[in-house]
Order: sequence, then C-alpha cells, then structure tokens
Amino acid sequence: MIFRDNPVLTRELLVNLRSSRSFLLQLIYVAFLGVVVYFAWPAGSEATNQVGPGVSQRLFNLFFLGQFFLVALVAPTFASGSITGEKERKTYEMLLASPLEPSTILIGKLLSSLTYLVLLIISSLPLMILCFLLGGILLSEITRAYLVLILAAGTFGLISVACSSFFGRTSSALVVSYLVILPLALVTVTVTQTDDVILRDFVSIAVLPPWCIAIWVIVGLMINRRLLFPPDVGSEGKEVVDEEEEMKYAVGVVIDRELFPDMLFAPAKRTDLMPDGTNPVLDKELRSEIFSQGTLMLRLVIQVSMFLSIPLMAYLLFLRPELTGYYVGYVLMFNLLVGPVFSSGSITQERERKTLGLLLTTLLRPGTIVFAKLLASARVSTVLTFLLTEQLLLAYVLIPELRDRWWTLFIFLTLIGATCLTTTSVGLLCSSLSRRTPVAMVMTYLVLLVLFIGPVGLVWYLQGYTNLPEERLASLTITSPFAAAFSIPIPSSDDGKPYVPSFLGSTALDLPASPGVQAPIWVAFLAITPGLILVLNVLTYVAFRLRWWKAGMTI
Amino acid sequence: MIEVRNFTKRYGDFVAVDDLSFTIGEGEIFGFIGPNGAGKSTTIRFLATLLRPSSGEGYIAGHSVVDDPMAVRKLIGFMPDDFGVYDGMKVWEFLDFFAVAYKIPRGSRKKIIAEVLELLDLTHKRDDYVNGLSKGMKQRLCLAKTLVHDPPVLILDEPASGLDPRARAEMKALLTELRSMGKTILVSSHILPELADFVTSIGIIERGRLLAAGSVQEIQRTLRSHRRLQIRVTDPDLAQAEAILRADSKVRDITSYDHTLTAEVDGGDTEMARLLQHLVGSGVGVQSFSEVEMTLDEVFMTVTKGIVN
Repeated sequence: MIFRDNPVLTRELLVNLRSSRSFLLQLIYVAFLGVVVYFAWPAGSEATNQVGPGVSQRLFNLFFLGQFFLVALVAPTFASGSITGEKERKTYEMLLASPLEPSTILIGKLLSSLTYLVLLIISSLPLMILCFLLGGILLSEITRAYLVLILAAGTFGLISVACSSFFGRTSSALVVSYLVILPLALVTVTVTQTDDVILRDFVSIAVLPPWCIAIWVIVGLMINRRLLFPPDVGSEGKEVVDEEEEMKYAVGVVIDRELFPDMLFAPAKRTDLMPDGTNPVLDKELRSEIFSQGTLMLRLVIQVSMFLSIPLMAYLLFLRPELTGYYVGYVLMFNLLVGPVFSSGSITQERERKTLGLLLTTLLRPGTIVFAKLLASARVSTVLTFLLTEQLLLAYVLIPELRDRWWTLFIFLTLIGATCLTTTSVGLLCSSLSRRTPVAMVMTYLVLLVLFIGPVGLVWYLQGYTNLPEERLASLTITSPFAAAFSIPIPSSDDGKPYVPSFLGSTALDLPASPGVQAPIWVAFLAITPGLILVLNVLTYVAFRLRWWKAGMTI
Repeated sequence: MIEVRNFTKRYGDFVAVDDLSFTIGEGEIFGFIGPNGAGKSTTIRFLATLLRPSSGEGYIAGHSVVDDPMAVRKLIGFMPDDFGVYDGMKVWEFLDFFAVAYKIPRGSRKKIIAEVLELLDLTHKRDDYVNGLSKGMKQRLCLAKTLVHDPPVLILDEPASGLDPRARAEMKALLTELRSMGKTILVSSHILPELADFVTSIGIIERGRLLAAGSVQEIQRTLRSHRRLQIRVTDPDLAQAEAILRADSKVRDITSYDHTLTAEVDGGDTEMARLLQHLVGSGVGVQSFSEVEMTLDEVFMTVTKGIVN
C-alpha cells in the first residue's frame, strides 16, 4: 500500500509527469549537460586516450556541485508545497479524513515531489560515465557522488515536507526549509569535496548514510504523528493568529513591532484610519499581511540565520579577515534564498486567495499596486538580510586589517543592498508572469541562479578549456554579486596580499563596451545593477498591466 | 444604465457566452438566472472590467467597459461569487482599505464606514479579524465593501449562495433596501424563487445564450409557448377524449386519472380554443377545461430544459 497502489503518489505523478513540459525540461537539462561535456571533451584523435586527471576531475566536480546545488535548491520548492498546498486548496481535511494511513500520505507526498528530481539526476549518469572514460576518476567515486546526491535529495525533501506539515503557507515552509537545509548542504559539500580522499570516502559511505537514515526516521515519525493528530484543522476562526498570545509562548527572539529594530520590518497596526494620500496596498502589505500568519516564520529565520553566522563570523571575519568576501557571500546567499519568497508570491497570492478581483475593480492604478508590492517585499527581505551585517560592522570596528580599509565596508553594504533589490525585483516579475505561486518561485530561483551563480560556474568551467585572458572571462560575471564580493581586495594578515578565489581568476574585468579598459568586478556590478533593477521593474509593470489590470488573463 | 451588446466569449473552441445582448434601465433590479455553468459569471466579470470579450461591447452609464475601465470602476460596486479576504485585517481596516482605494478623503471615510457597517448590521463586528468571520458575515462584509464609494450600479454575483435561510432572507431585505436608495442592481442566481419576489426584470441564460429577458410577468407570458391543460370529462367519454388528444400532434404528455386528463399543449390561446372546439364538436362531455398555472420554478425548468434536450 505504501509504495504500490499509493493513491497520493499515483495522483501526483499523473498530474506532474503528464504534461509535456516535464519531458521538455528534462531534454533541456540533459542537452545543457551534453553541451558542457562536448566543449570540455579533448579535441583530436587522442580523445580516447587518458588525458590526465585534470579535465575529467574538473568536469566531475562541476557536475557534482552543480547537481548538488540543484538538489538543495529545487527539492524544497517541490516538497515544501506538498502539504501546505493541500491546506491552501482546502483539501487537507478531506485527505486526512480518508482511510489512508499517515505513512502512505507521507511517502506519497515525498516520492512524488522527488521523483522528477531523481529522474533528472539519473538522466545525467550516462554523461558522467563519459567522464569516466577520460580517466582520472574511479567508478567508486561516481557511485559515491550519486549516493550523496540521492541521500541529499531524500533528506532535503523530507525536511521540506516536515516544514510543509508544520506551516500553513507554502512560502513560510519554503523559507524555513531552506534555512535548515543551508547548513546541512554547506557541511556536506565541505566534507565530500575535501582533498583528503580517505576522509571523503569515509564520510560519504560510512557517516552520511546512517545519519541520513536517522534523520529520515525521526522526521518521518514527527510528520506521521502530526498527520495522525493534526492540530491545525478545524474552525475558521483558528486562522486568526493573535500576536500577543503567540509572543507569550515564543522561545528565543521576540518580535515587538513597537521597538527598534523590529519596527523596521513593519510599522505597528493602525488604530485609526489611514491618512489621505496613503498607498493602501503598501499599508495593507506592511501592517496586516506580513504578520498575518504570526511571527513564527520570521523568528525562526532570524534565529537560524544568526546562529549560522556565528561560526562563519569567527572564521571568515576574525581569524582570516581576507575572507570577508566569503562572509558577505553567506549574507548574499541568505538573501538569494529568502528574498524571493516575499516577492514571488505577492501577485500570484492575490489571485490564489481570490482577492485580485476585489483589488482590480478599485480605482488603484497598476503602478500603485506594483510599487507597493515591490516596496513591501523589498523592505522585509532587506531588513532580514541586513540583520546579518551586524557581524560585519563589529569586525570592521575590532579588526585592524579591516579598519584600515573602512571604505570597503560601504562597498559591501551597497552590494548587499543592490542584491536585495535585484532578488525582490526578479521575484515580482516572475509573480506577475505566473498564475501560481510555486511556479513563480521556481522561475525566480532559476533566473537568480543564472544571474548570480551561473556566471561564476561558467568562468570556472571555461578556465580549463579556453585560452581567453582571465579579464575577458571575468566580464561574464558582471551580474553576479558573489563575484563582485570576492573581487573586493582585503589584504591577508599573513602576507599582506589580497585573497583571490581560484575559481575567479581575476578580480578585474574587461569592460564589454570598450575593450582593453579594465575595472574591478564590483565597480562594473554596481554600475549595471541599477539599470538591471529598472528594467526588471518596468517589465513587471508592463506584464502586470497587460496581463492582469487590462483583464488579459482570466482571474 | 447597463447595456450589453453582442457579448461573446470564447475559450479556444468552447463558447462560454454566445452573442448576448440586454439592457437594464436605471433603478431596476435585474435578476440574472441560469443553471451552473451557463455563463452568468463570465458576463458579470465582463461587466466588472475583469474579462476581455472575444467580441461585443458593454456599457455602464454610457462608459465602455473595454475602453474606459477606470470610469466604469468608479460607477460599479462589484461582489464576486467566490472571493477571499486579506489576512490579519480587522473589519474596519478592510473597509478603510477599499475606501482609500476608491480615493475617498479621510474626512468622510469615518462616517461612511460607520454607515455601511450599520446598514449591514456589522457594527458589533467592527474590531474582529476578517479571516475569523463566518461565511455569512464575510458575504455581508463584501457587500459593505461594494458600497463604500456609493456606486449607482451594483453587480452582485450569487450574493446569497452558501447562506442559511435567515441570512438569505436578510440579504433579500438588504437588496430591496438598496433598490429603494435608487441603485441599479444586477444580481445573479441559479435559483429563481430566490429572486422572484423582488426583482423588476429577469434574464434567463443557458449555455451562453440568453433565452428570455424582460419583466417577470412578460417572460412568464412569452415563455409559455406550451401550456398545461386539465380537462375533466364525463365518465363514458374518457376513452374517446383521450383518443382525440393522442391523435392531435400539438398535444403530448397525456395522463388520465379519475375522469381527468392532463396534457401539455404546444401553442397559445388559439390552440387551446381549437382543442376545446374539437372535443365538444366530437361529442365529448367536457365538464371543465382549464389551464394549470405554472410556478416560476417550473417555467424556468421547462425553458432551460428545452435547450439541454
């Protein structure tokens, strides 16, 4: 029953795999990996000979890291909506009241959200085997890599299903799953990619599987119990979350909207009518919607991200200040994960919650609505992200190497601010182009992956196979805030030389418009980002106006 | 006040609404009736500026729904059949939100909100959260929202669906009160009796086509292309009378019970007179010959069934 004839699994698989879109996506994915291998393939007749460990090892690492990243990013987007989706569509109680065992529901939900992902991973196996032909990697290493990928998919998926059963909204479940998964993913990548072969194999084969199985059992039992005795079904009145009541039982951080810095998230609730000239949508988003599901999600996000930042701060800022760029990289990664959640649902949710018809028949102009959505989601995501810059400020006060270069702090902060606006804008654009929130979210993450992380991976890949100068290669990374953060020079406390990550090659790039003229990556990034943000928001406005406001789409 | 001209909406090959035209005069309550899936909501969404037509036009007080949506939005109060509310908002905040969205200055907002709350009997719920309200309360709140900018035209899609009998009766009383305030109201329902006693005119729609429009009496008259007869005859003539009816091509569904024959007759008054003449002329002892009044419900059922069959 659990695996065969599981109605939950059958239904979801039918719905998900029936569309031609899923096969098209798989085709594109495999074609893309094929292109990567094709260009990396050594030219000439010696192709079948062993070309040394360099090429294939590099390709193998790229494949592994790329797919691991894909798993960490995509597994939660599929799985964290699995149970909240039922709640949002109001089919949750029907499902629970059926004679299905909770374990059947759980396995059905988990497998259906992961099947497609696992299918994608497995479809890349033939290409990985090609790399094996080049020599330099062992079959056992490929097996190990796929074992880690499958374990990661299962664990991340299960964690997301757990978050999905604990929260009422997909967006909350998604943010919290990302934050739980982020440290696990970082640790896994660090230990499985270390140069120490014995440690690597030991961890992958002897440590990870039992740990993962232990996590599966514990989390599985928790979800099972929650589905068996669901505390979150019942009268409609329960949907109202009383902030004060909730605060009494809050563990750790407490959010008080009257006090600094919590008031930065959202101003306190109104006690009287809005003044004339207020943007009502902005007022509604900030004062009512952000805290409408309670503060649990925000509190969790703040606590987990802060907790994670402590060891990172100790190592990246205080022990090796030349790695400050990496700490900023963590802050940027946090924003990449959390930022889109607030914006990519902001238009689709009006449609899903059936309030769009009410909103669109008022006298509000499309510009007012889009601007309010942008400002509200940018505000929350920026405040959350800047909470993590406190550590940066502290380091700049305490550490001489950083204090001497105080101006770099402002560059870092500007970088983070620009990234916050970009992630929000991309999310809003995808939201105005989609009909459903999960689609908008996946779309947003893919776009951000291409803009932010893709360029760095591409440069790393190309380094081995082209003779282009490093500066020319670096100009590909103009849209990546990560490359920009790594390009800001902080001298090492040992030899006084700035640290440049090996995957970047050069911290300066050839300006695309005028060849021969070079500029640091961060300068180029900061120069083009305002334009990029402007274009994204104009596109959002146009899309919203044509698709929704002018009644182009059926609500 | 409201005019729909040749409105057609297609989704691919499927025609949701086919060449629909009707007019609603100022101060009327127009009941838009049809079974589920007939195209009522599509037409209403079109009039509420939320749907672009495949062809055709719509006007509210002379403003085109397609070309000048802003002017139309100012004039209408729209209540969708299935709507949500914003989370974490109190009743007064919800109304304030829409009042600001309709650009009502702060000075008059306080009074307006108090008035609509009073009108809809929601004053005691003023400080409750909207997502905690019951279905009936939400329905009333949404109607309150459509009234904040005092629009001359109200477009209400199934305002009474899902309400208990008491709430239904209250909704009816409210609509009558709104009519006495001079508002033009387009209200849809799939249940005719719900509207029958307070609408001034109705339109019956099915499968995207308007079958009839006009005042209730008018429609009753025109729609009666066939009538139900009850004929009581003397005992020995029963078999003969039944044979005559069966031989007549305009008569169908004949049943006989205790000297009484019941039958459906296609046609109007002349057809009835001809039939009576025929019976009497053939020597049948007719004791009584009368038409059975159909209820509105039956009229509706007969009319819409015609299309389905």
